[in-house]
Amino acid sequence: VRDRLLLGLYLTAVVAVTTVHDPAALALALAAVLALAGRAGLRLLRRALLAVALFNGVVTATYVILATLEGRLSWHYVALVNLRVLLLATLTFLAVERIDPFRALAFSPSLTYLLTLAYSQSMVLRRSLEEFRLALRSRSPTPPGLRERYRHSAVTAGSLLQKALADAGETAQALRSRGFFDD
Amino acid sequence: VHVPDGFIAPVVYLPLYGVAAGFWAYGARRVRASLDEDTLPYLAVLTGLAFVLSMVAIPLPGGTTVHAAGIGLLAVVFGVWTAFMAVSLVLVMQALLFGEGGVTSLPLNALAMGLVGAAAAWTAYRGLGRATRRGALFLAGLLSVALPAALVALVLGLQPLVAHAEDGTPLFFPFGLSVTVPALLAPHLVIGLGEGVLTVLGHDLVQRLRGGHSP
Repeated sequence: VRDRLLLGLYLTAVVAVTTVHDPAALALALAAVLALAGRAGLRLLRRALLAVALFNGVVTATYVILATLEGRLSWHYVALVNLRVLLLATLTFLAVERIDPFRALAFSPSLTYLLTLAYSQSMVLRRSLEEFRLALRSRSPTPPGLRERYRHSAVTAGSLLQKALADAGETAQALRSRGFFDD
Repeated sequence: VHVPDGFIAPVVYLPLYGVAAGFWAYGARRVRASLDEDTLPYLAVLTGLAFVLSMVAIPLPGGTTVHAAGIGLLAVVFGVWTAFMAVSLVLVMQALLFGEGGVTSLPLNALAMGLVGAAAAWTAYRGLGRATRRGALFLAGLLSVALPAALVALVLGLQPLVAHAEDGTPLFFPFGLSVTVPALLAPHLVIGLGEGVLTVLGHDLVQRLRGGHSP
């Protein structure tokens, strides 16, 4: 119940933040989120800064240049959009740390099961992807050319697809043999 | 195209959630109807596949790489609705488990990449597949990247029109269509060329592994 409540609070907070257009209020909210995070606050803020830096940096720099040329630069907007995005990113990282999504979705066994299996499969396939990457590197005394890298990417994608299909079959059989589908 | 939280106005993302919810409900029914009791593991594993396909690097001339989307390949092999549901689940997983992507941009990303991208790829493959299978696959990969980028550019470019202060200052994404369309489409057309090649080669491999039968 706690995780479900926190997830609901987080989603409500996200919507609420996007209705606020006052940089000062957003700065206060960011301070409140950091206070809520306690010791983890600075770490979360740093992580959020890194996560939004590229997109926000490009958007802000382009806006400043174009708006200056057109004579309609608004520093209020620059502060507003950057504070809002940073606040939402910090809030999200705090939510990811504090909320267990598997428990939050426990009201639906199918949804919990789907998320659990999808997550575990993602991790397994990600490991396979890393092994493919290391295999190419270890077997290439010189940097591979464009054609080789394309072939490698295609073989990786095709093999992951095959592995996923095999895993789906095996998982279904394992669940069936344990009576998961029996009412 | 991953748009972070904070650039799309509630007046846009809340209705988009409504639209996406309708498609999710319909997609769930379609996936359930087309499969049997294996539906859950099948969808879960495909979600894992969609997640990891988006990490496969597409090499670009000059030594750089960009990440594939894998949606063209997923749509051609498994169909539009399965691809849409898998991509949507990936976006939910990225938002809730990894804090990536965004909650407010989730419906836009799901509709653009998962639905429009998959539908475009599937239509191109079905429409041209008999005439030129490889050409159709290439086009499927290209469209699965280019059309979602166009849709995201459209939605982002509308933000200054639908959400601005009284003096006209933007409140969310600041650039209009004249900036967003070329800025997003041009790089995604290049990425789409790589995605097209990857879709052809990936599909060839799947066919070979399956003994020449089309999946």
